[in-house]
Amino acid sequence: MPLRKRDKLLTYLVVGPFAIVLAFPFYWMLQTSLKSELDLYNTENNPFGWGEGSPTLDNYRFLFSDTQYAQWLVNTVLVGLAVVAITLLVSLPAGYALARLSGRWGQSLGVGLFLVYLVPPTLLFLPLSRVIAEAGLQDRLASLILVYPGFTIPFATWLLMGFFKSIPRELEDAALVDGASRLRSLVWIVFPISLPGILTVVIFTFSLCVNEFIYAIAFITNSDSKVVSTGIYTELIRGDVFYWGALMASTLIPAIPLALLYNTFLDRFIAGFTGGAFR
Amino acid sequence: MADDTRHTDLPDEEVAGSRTTRREILTKAGVGSLLIVYGGALPRTAAASVPKYRGRELAGTLRIIQWSHFVPAYDKWFDDIYIKRWGQANDTEVTVDHINQADIPARAAAEVAAQSGHDIFFFLSPPAAYEDQVLNHADIVQEVTKKRGKMKTVALKSTYNPRTKKYFAFSDNYVPDPANYRTDLWGETGLRPTTWDNVRKAAPKLRAMGNPIGIGMSNEIDSNMVLMSMMACFGSFIQNKEQRVVLRSKETVDVLRFARELYRTGMSNEIFAWTAASNNQAMLAGRLSLAMNAISITRSAELSNPELASKIELLPIPRGPNGRLGLEHVMGAYVIWKFARNKAMAKKFLVDLETKYIGAFENSKFYNFPSWPASVPNIARRLERDTAKPAGKYKVLGEIADKYTLNPGWPGNTNAAIDEIFNKFLIPQMFAEVAQGKRTPEEAARVYDRTFRVIFQRWRNLKKI
Repeated sequence: MPLRKRDKLLTYLVVGPFAIVLAFPFYWMLQTSLKSELDLYNTENNPFGWGEGSPTLDNYRFLFSDTQYAQWLVNTVLVGLAVVAITLLVSLPAGYALARLSGRWGQSLGVGLFLVYLVPPTLLFLPLSRVIAEAGLQDRLASLILVYPGFTIPFATWLLMGFFKSIPRELEDAALVDGASRLRSLVWIVFPISLPGILTVVIFTFSLCVNEFIYAIAFITNSDSKVVSTGIYTELIRGDVFYWGALMASTLIPAIPLALLYNTFLDRFIAGFTGGAFR
Repeated sequence: MADDTRHTDLPDEEVAGSRTTRREILTKAGVGSLLIVYGGALPRTAAASVPKYRGRELAGTLRIIQWSHFVPAYDKWFDDIYIKRWGQANDTEVTVDHINQADIPARAAAEVAAQSGHDIFFFLSPPAAYEDQVLNHADIVQEVTKKRGKMKTVALKSTYNPRTKKYFAFSDNYVPDPANYRTDLWGETGLRPTTWDNVRKAAPKLRAMGNPIGIGMSNEIDSNMVLMSMMACFGSFIQNKEQRVVLRSKETVDVLRFARELYRTGMSNEIFAWTAASNNQAMLAGRLSLAMNAISITRSAELSNPELASKIELLPIPRGPNGRLGLEHVMGAYVIWKFARNKAMAKKFLVDLETKYIGAFENSKFYNFPSWPASVPNIARRLERDTAKPAGKYKVLGEIADKYTLNPGWPGNTNAAIDEIFNKFLIPQMFAEVAQGKRTPEEAARVYDRTFRVIFQRWRNLKKI
């Protein structure tokens, strides 16, 4: 049933301010990334005006010509994809097993797994440094690919467990009665229905990898192997001098595809997070 | 060495473990040769003839980690020119990794926890707390002293522990810490920030003009430095020459009272949330009338806003009731970890770097002052030659370096307790609590004196003080 005009207005009145507040950082990033250094420090032109030398693409030019930003982007994507693959590989069967096969223990184990996710990296990075060194993985992307699943798998398993619970068991039973094996029913029945949950795991895991900082700064120091979160931090903040324009440009670039990804799959993402919430 | 041992052990293993025919040996050798020649199995560096130590690549590899210098040209010179030339001259592959200054403590902690990492680690303040994890750098100091004469006292007192007789770091440079003030704004007050009393008198007017004084009271390095300098100017010290805590004094109460008044009449509450970059940014935005910082403010302004840069002048720290006593802004301190893999080359690298320091001095735009002054001849003339406006602007750095640059913890040496107090930002916290009215100056002096005594006792128990 279509909303009446008054209802629409009310919706926009409520949602509008939220949207402005949430979009403002992106506007700020975009504007700062297009400002000249001189204009940036002119308080009269902040946050809405343009001054001498602006707008300019100098900050973007600097980013791609004077730093290894492109390499950091590639590294970030590589780590993100690898971690997403590992996370799915482990958490899909784990989530399903906990939801279907473990009886009363499933719930407790699921909560236990989620608690692991809550251990802060600031506590773990020192002992893990030793592990990474012993494994000979210092300054290699493999160190991040090894460690990140440590916090993505528990969350993904917990999320998928809830999602699998929301799928009627009768669907699988029907498949089993028709002669399908459990694996086959899983692949052909359960996973396709669980697509919103799986997509949520993919997007969320990838975002976590892009955002992660502590392990990346502790395990990798050579410029070639840095990821975006640490590369821009070490190369665009030099002592007490911040390259604000380039910093904002560098954060805006990965933010755009992520925002588009979230936007495209928004409905499924919400379904993924709320799936099984009432079970 | 490990590789050599493996090579010498190999023939014995073959004799003891198997009976290989001559045909098999020839076949394996042929395939192996093909792999080496066409498969790229030779080490990349060996194929490029550097290093010459065939089969002993680790012996010719040196790993360094240091901050991203605020002058990009310095890193370019260091990474692309200096270490390459040094590497070629010494048959060593040198790699340099850069790190944000704020992450140096975390990275150092991670390397120590892992007992693995870089051969040479660079700190921005004397890392006395890591004394047990590093080599005694005495032989490097002696070698440089033999070539370049006497080391600056500030560097000596920052890196030497008289209790253990150990050099826990090697200082290649220190950074003078001038006052940066806006001549146009101060001109309207009829004063110059040559004394703390002048700063106090001018502060209300400057703030009324919209240009407050900018002295941080936050958990960051600039706040640490300027407040410890201010304390010294008032005769207040954390420790005495014998490394006994002497914070609770009339002078400490005086300086805390002074800072409280200065905050209330001439500063803004932003200073409690400052980062190391905040005074730079506020000065570049034209908002501050005075900031205590190294030359990063003026050098940045020269690039982005030359007109503003010409209005910022440098002075030594303002004089207080106890005279003019400033701290270094940054103490460059390299350490060689005990777990470093190439200690010999690391030592040679540091000796060579210091004895030919002209490149570092010039490329840092006079930020890095050599810890052995003779390593850069004619410093005064070099400073005079700088083209920044007004002419001779940076000349004062020489005076500050010679007369008004002390180590953290002066009149005692910088030690592990001072390092802990420094890294926990207890001095800025003490000042902030008084300025915000959370404690009276007397109470703060008493409470922090007690806190410092606990810290000192702990390190004394560990026999580091």
